[in-house]
Amino acid sequence: MSYNGGAVIAMTGKECVAIACDLRLGIQNQTIATDYRKVFRVHDKLFVGLSGLATDMQTLSQRFAFRHNLYKLREERNMKPTTFANLVSHMLYERRFGPYYAEPVIAGLDENNQPYITGMDLIGAMAPASDFVVAGSSSESLFGVCESFWKPDMDAETLFETLGQCILTGVNRDCLAGWGAAIYIITPTGITAKTLKGRQD
Amino acid sequence: MSTWSPYDMNGGTCVAVAGADYCIVAADTRLSTGFSILTREHTKVVTLSDACVLASAGFEGDRKQLHKVLGMRQQVFAHNHGGKPMSCPAMAQMLSNTLYFKRFFPYYTFNLLGGLDKSGKGAVYTYDAIGSYERTGYACQGSGQALIMPVLDNQLKSASPLLYPPVSSATPLTEAQAVDLVKDCFATAGERDIYTGDAVEIVVINRNGVRRETMPLKLD
Amino acid sequence: MSSSYGDINVSGGIGLDSESAPFNLELARRNSMIERQGMKLPRYLKTGTTICGVVYANGVVLGADTRSTNGDTVADKNCEKIHYIAPNIYCCGAGTAADTEATTNMVASALNMHRYGTNGRTSRVITALTMLKSHLFKYQGNVSAALVLGGFDINGPHLFTVYPHGSSDSLPYATMGSGSLAAMSIFEAGYKENMTKEEAMKLVADAIKSGVFNDLGSGSNVDLCIITKEGKEYLRNYECPNPRPYASQSFSFAKGTTPVLRSTMLTLKDVVVEEGADAMEVGA
Repeated sequence: MSYNGGAVIAMTGKECVAIACDLRLGIQNQTIATDYRKVFRVHDKLFVGLSGLATDMQTLSQRFAFRHNLYKLREERNMKPTTFANLVSHMLYERRFGPYYAEPVIAGLDENNQPYITGMDLIGAMAPASDFVVAGSSSESLFGVCESFWKPDMDAETLFETLGQCILTGVNRDCLAGWGAAIYIITPTGITAKTLKGRQD
Repeated sequence: MSTWSPYDMNGGTCVAVAGADYCIVAADTRLSTGFSILTREHTKVVTLSDACVLASAGFEGDRKQLHKVLGMRQQVFAHNHGGKPMSCPAMAQMLSNTLYFKRFFPYYTFNLLGGLDKSGKGAVYTYDAIGSYERTGYACQGSGQALIMPVLDNQLKSASPLLYPPVSSATPLTEAQAVDLVKDCFATAGERDIYTGDAVEIVVINRNGVRRETMPLKLD
Repeated sequence: MSSSYGDINVSGGIGLDSESAPFNLELARRNSMIERQGMKLPRYLKTGTTICGVVYANGVVLGADTRSTNGDTVADKNCEKIHYIAPNIYCCGAGTAADTEATTNMVASALNMHRYGTNGRTSRVITALTMLKSHLFKYQGNVSAALVLGGFDINGPHLFTVYPHGSSDSLPYATMGSGSLAAMSIFEAGYKENMTKEEAMKLVADAIKSGVFNDLGSGSNVDLCIITKEGKEYLRNYECPNPRPYASQSFSFAKGTTPVLRSTMLTLKDVVVEEGADAMEVGA
């Protein structure tokens, strides 16, 4: 987790959900890229964020897209967030004794537009939450800010400000994450993507 | 016996916030080892003088010895100077010397010193285990450090002590606001850090003297 | 977790779970190589855990706390540790979270299939026990699940503990997990034969609370599950003795606090255009 660095947070609001990641990619202390997004769209109401070893994050995101395409061909519909979470969990637990080094964070809206978020460890132990989930090299810092700043039933705008503050201040004390952040706010009517300015060191 | 270590980690979290005319030093009261709680009501904060309070997390044996040594030196100083206590900046330097004196068999403690400087302004000094120290506007040490530090960063944003011309590094909050923030920080750490809990002891130093209050935390 | 993969038998199953797929070890060699080069393996989610159960006059009561930890931090404050096995069988799990979840899920689905093949006859607790322990024994303790299995079948109420290496005990009252000693002290002091349902529930809740308060690996709430001849009663968050003690009201961020460089509305990809027979959109 501390080889490439990175941070991901998902947070719920009232009929909306948001997921954020930092933008740094490094090899230990050397920064390689400053525009490296760790959040991927599965479909319009479902996103997955990954933190951990970059090679495994890429492999996993591609395998998720592949499995979701197969599902769509067979079922002619999108996956529900819970279905997708179970799929991810099984894909990870299959490799119980030779795991992918990546912790996924899943955020989406279900068929009733209710938020669903879940975190997972690298072998697929699901931890669904009603408030927020975090993952990455600075997960303790992220836990601290989210635990203090999260409130129930935030609207999309408040959710954005809160999550923005959480990801930016959360990564500031972590030298393996930072260089700004990207946030995706998912509402029943659309997705807003924002790029945030953060410290560049 | 070959695995015996002279050190243990007894957990605990300390926070200090300096304001324009006050200083807050707070610590939880849980003492633990491994997965067990040793006691739920143990103070990690010692009042050295009317202007100086020290809080330490880490190994309880070393903490006790360190607090005793500093209390003793403070008394000797006062006796030698007609009852006048040591100033907070002087105490800060002495704590650094005391820690560095044991450079190769350190006190396993993570210290925060809070108090008022000569002009009555809040001062917080933060240390590593072997005496490197810095005066800051706020600080946090111990098992809940990673959880609390970013919250303080976000809410306090005090100026760097390295700026030139110098800007006051004290935080802009009022005393009541700062106490509120410290309480929330400990509630947060108590939710997520297994070594922080039971109660938090908050010591406020201002021109009226030293005041101590306690707030219960989660017991699990 | 390094070179011992060869010792794990993944080729053929034994017992009833032989149909389940073996683990994929493709990445094991790579992982042990990069670990040798000094990269730390990220920690698995553990359930530090207090779990327990008692047999009473006409049933079984199972109990669990709801904390899951990742090292020294709490990863989930309200997780579910009492897992479904069959309508008349439930199982508390301690150890690595993924292992307890996957193992109990596997047995639950195997028993479900077994019921389809046996005219829907009620599953027996001993069957679940055998499936669990043969799976755990096969993996020599590497699947780290410590379980308390309880249920009611044709032979009456049953309570078993299963250890990660595959051994098991049949007991009138049992505890597991890092809080097992704290919980067992309550059982040893308060257990009686043929208790009423209320007495048994109180005893189990007290045992779990003893773990919650005295063991740092356990915490938050108490879950109970009562299984009798008539059916089960799953009491999620039966007691919540640990509410947040303080919350500041002063944290709020005005619009525009967070510095934004770019903001875009993303084009939706799944908007259905309902006219004629268009080609199906399958892009990710």
